[in-house]
Amino acid sequence: MSEPGVELPELNPVIHGKLRLALLSLLAGVEEAEFTWLRTKTGSTDGNLGAQLQKLEEAGYVTVEKKFVQRKPQTLYRMTEQGRAALTEYVQALKQLLGQAMEA
Amino acid sequence: MKSNTTGQELKEQLDLIQTMIAEGRQSTQSWGWSFLLWGVAYYIAAAWTMLGHTYWAWPVTMTVAIVLSAIIGSRVSRGHPETVFGRAIGSVWKVMGVTLFVVLAGLGVSGHYNIHVYMAIIGGMLAVANGTSSLILRWKMQFVCGLMWLGAGVAGSFGSENQAAIAFLAAVFFCQIVFGIYAMMLDARRRAPRGAAHV
Repeated sequence: MSEPGVELPELNPVIHGKLRLALLSLLAGVEEAEFTWLRTKTGSTDGNLGAQLQKLEEAGYVTVEKKFVQRKPQTLYRMTEQGRAALTEYVQALKQLLGQAMEA
Repeated sequence: MKSNTTGQELKEQLDLIQTMIAEGRQSTQSWGWSFLLWGVAYYIAAAWTMLGHTYWAWPVTMTVAIVLSAIIGSRVSRGHPETVFGRAIGSVWKVMGVTLFVVLAGLGVSGHYNIHVYMAIIGGMLAVANGTSSLILRWKMQFVCGLMWLGAGVAGSFGSENQAAIAFLAAVFFCQIVFGIYAMMLDARRRAPRGAAHV
């Protein structure tokens, strides 16, 4: 139970999904990453991964760049400043909630 | 959302974030092979020089090593994401390599070939590159290599030409060949147990 007058933070529903959270965290550690690398790291299927990345893109948290390298298609994802700020905010909210849960 | 989330779930989310960020940062490709390749190239050039082809040995061997590094490097780095760490360290080595090649080629073409000068330049430049990347990576073993190159560069300035050559070959053996194999083994061990995160 939270103390009266203490407002607990809401967790961002776009980031809260496990796969989307994993994707944003992976992209936080690199400058840009290929779709195939993200698939390997998360162990996700192409369809699910594509759908979750699209949700992150629609939220403005990642940008996508499609190009050809040596005639092979390459899809690169980058985290935006908005995405980085949202992840930071999410981590702070998590810590605050975790603190409350430990006290309860 | 918060009312449905337990403390255990929150902790799992936090652990997932930490694990994934670490996965991303550790994904810079291994460059142990390039230390080994350049170590072998130095030995080939030195042996070729001893056979009497002083004029061609170094330019040809170094050019072949550059081409091989570019080909293998592009294959190894394919699919790996770029990190700030990786780019910083790569930049140091690229700039060092180009500078070393141009300066030594200039000395060679101008006819001012002198093993003491070569040793001082190579030792100094490799000490800077190894030292800088060891400080970025906080890698003591590479820092030791930087010190060895610095020592070889200074030692090469003294003594006879043979003594300078021995100091150079010893530094190549320990700081390129042994260190390269060690880095490749470390990388193989680091990658072996890792699989997909399955989130």
